[in-house]
Amino acid sequence: MAAQYKSIHPVKYYRDFLAQDVRPDGRTPDKTRTVTVNANSISTSDGSATVRIGNTTVICGIKAELGKPKADEPESGFVVPNVELPPLCSPCFRPGPPSEEAQVMTCFVAKATSGMVDLKQLGISLDNLAWVLHIDMICLDYDGCVQDACVIALSTALRTVKLPKVDYDEDTKTPTVHLNQRTSVDVKSSPVSTSFAVFDEEIILSDPTAEEESLSSARLTVVTDGKSIFSVHKPGGSTLTEVQLQDCISIAKERANLVNEMIRVAVGSVKR
Amino acid sequence: MAGVLLSEAEKTFILHGVQSDLRNDGRSRQDYRPIELELDIVTHANGSARVRLANTDVLVGVKTEIDVPKPEKPEEGKVEFFVDCSANATPVFEGKGGEELATEISNFLASSFASSMSFDLKTLCIIKGVQCWKLYVDILILECGGNLFDAVSLAVKAALHNTMVPRVETVAMDGGNVDLQLSGDPYDCWRLDTKNMPCLVTLSKIGEHFIVDSTAEEEECSMASLVFSVTDGGRLNSLCKTSVGSLHPHTLAEALKVGVDVGVRLNKALDQALAREDRRLEADKPERFGFLK
Amino acid sequence: MPSDNRRIQGPEVSSPYCLFQSGNKNVDVHSGRSEVLSSRKDSRKFMEHRKIYLKTGVVSQAKGSAYVEFDNTKVICSVFDPREIPNRIEYSQHGELFCVFKFAPFSCLTRRAHQQDAQEKELSLCLKRALEPAVCRHEFPNFQVDIYVMVLENDGGSLAAAITCAGLALADAHVPMYDLVTAASLGVTGDKLLMDPVEEEESLCQNPNKENQNHGLITVALMGAHTQVTQMWQTGSMTAACVSDALTHLVQICEETYPIAQRCLVKSVVDTISKKAQ
Repeated sequence: MAAQYKSIHPVKYYRDFLAQDVRPDGRTPDKTRTVTVNANSISTSDGSATVRIGNTTVICGIKAELGKPKADEPESGFVVPNVELPPLCSPCFRPGPPSEEAQVMTCFVAKATSGMVDLKQLGISLDNLAWVLHIDMICLDYDGCVQDACVIALSTALRTVKLPKVDYDEDTKTPTVHLNQRTSVDVKSSPVSTSFAVFDEEIILSDPTAEEESLSSARLTVVTDGKSIFSVHKPGGSTLTEVQLQDCISIAKERANLVNEMIRVAVGSVKR
Repeated sequence: MAGVLLSEAEKTFILHGVQSDLRNDGRSRQDYRPIELELDIVTHANGSARVRLANTDVLVGVKTEIDVPKPEKPEEGKVEFFVDCSANATPVFEGKGGEELATEISNFLASSFASSMSFDLKTLCIIKGVQCWKLYVDILILECGGNLFDAVSLAVKAALHNTMVPRVETVAMDGGNVDLQLSGDPYDCWRLDTKNMPCLVTLSKIGEHFIVDSTAEEEECSMASLVFSVTDGGRLNSLCKTSVGSLHPHTLAEALKVGVDVGVRLNKALDQALAREDRRLEADKPERFGFLK
Repeated sequence: MPSDNRRIQGPEVSSPYCLFQSGNKNVDVHSGRSEVLSSRKDSRKFMEHRKIYLKTGVVSQAKGSAYVEFDNTKVICSVFDPREIPNRIEYSQHGELFCVFKFAPFSCLTRRAHQQDAQEKELSLCLKRALEPAVCRHEFPNFQVDIYVMVLENDGGSLAAAITCAGLALADAHVPMYDLVTAASLGVTGDKLLMDPVEEEESLCQNPNKENQNHGLITVALMGAHTQVTQMWQTGSMTAACVSDALTHLVQICEETYPIAQRCLVKSVVDTISKKAQ
């Protein structure tokens, strides 16, 4: 019976639940889902992580390659993050070039994590050679807050990267790679993103599922490391009061501390 | 494949024909239709061939170009197969209709020629890690009357046999740049070793039997077909099932024997035809005169 | 290279660092060969398959899904509800399978492009041909079932893993089927047959080191209950006797993995029922 009711009138179905201050999956409106972090799950990559938030699953793999630096920044390397929403993660996506949503998400994740690595430490030889970190985040299960999972996965994967030592011979213009001597990348900050959905223009749902996201009237994403705020992203929709915003930020800060601790434990448990 | 519509009665007729080893056009199960082969018919290509297998018509041109070898294989040249299913061949190929078939054929050819024992890409190397030859094998399907794989492979092998790769006379290294000097004489060329290159044989299963060289109508009746890529020496270079339907392992093992047997015979027939064409072309070769000789 | 403004682009040319490693790589290949001829690196027997891990229902948004591990080879597949075949004017008597096989960019030793390349297209087709005989396609005329396969990590045998995975995902999606499909791969180098080769062994099997030596890879997919081979795919160069020998071994291994897939499916059905009963 409940299933039919839900498919005929999903908004009313949610309203009935929220009137009792509970969500259909049993959470209270301000409760976030369990996060699991698994570091270094892919051995063919130079660094990787799998992150699950409830059902949402994102796998992030980093491939390091060697390339020529840009002419205007001869001492810097590259970080190339891309979010992919392949058709296998949800029926909403079709094969082919990235959907608009994937492009928006790539932009968001790239901006949120832009300060994590100092690009200068990726330079090897001035104007000749630098590291290129291709960071690919692939969504395997699209059940809301994929951008949050992407940021966590990227942050974890980046901490597992071990780059081999490279000598560059200026005369012959050939690099030599020493696979046995590896160093980690210095990660400067640890942003964690937490998303919220506004339902019926007043109730705020923390960490919404895909269904809740589609029924919401506005969305909000807060990126913080537990102390300072990196970004607050609220793209239009219904309005929020200052108090509501403050509430969201404090939830996000609390969660950021928790998640960063999880990342630390996950990365620490990796033996290589 | 091609849009041939057959009624149940027609299908049964073909099936019975195959059972009694007398097909619609009078052939037995292991007979090919007459094959016509022409070499060197595209003047601008380095090598070309046209094969007509009853109603199936295929034109193949080979172009050579100088390229940079892949960094992981610095000693090897490159070869690329490209299949174009012309909309003239059958209305099914209109628009993007032939694309899937085209990728299937080109991929299968690529994996058939992948083994260095059949086609040693090292012979295409000019300077290790710097310059190599790249062969573009363009396959144009002009008409589609069944058994496309076999016809294409015959034409490809013939065209590669016919391919003249210009001889490099001098190489000058100037810092990082390479200066190649090709021979001025257009007839000063070398040819590829096609001895071990494979031919494809398609076996289609109709009823309890396998037949070779099926017509478009017979393909419509077939539940399962296998493509073998067989070399002169009876070795298998590639094998794939190309249609819906499945096979019992025993049937498969039997088909293997038939496929290899037919493949060896096909290779032999092609070699003879190629030698004959070569002699004809040699006789037609223009006499050279003048001070540039 | 055409520029892609829908993704963030790195520099135009970048190459994997493995190419420049100190010491000659060719030496490794040959020493690896002699090692393989005596015993395998992961101390398996020559005819022993790696351990298999199967799980269904891994993607919550999909109608059916499955995840397969052959040790380091990891493959995920999801299957969606049948939908009308797009851009098709004429009526099709049989339902169609639409398969997309993709390697994740970080799944192989060298980075993969985001777009499907020729090899992935070939494997997509192989996968489709392997599954078609097992699906009752007459039950959904003029409709297609979308099957998406992603290889998360490739350590050899990714096609075999993909076929097994997709077969389970189809069953998990309640698509009517005649039988489950399981697959296995085998590498040949010289007179040695290597069941379920890892990536390193696969690349060994692709290069002959002596004249007239058998070498290559074979993948076979089998419907266990009917003993029907749904797909056979061989590359390299070998004698017919070698192929039929390999075929017998592969059919045997596929038959051995079949009950594992069955058990996995039964478990998922039992789980669903017990969840409903609660």
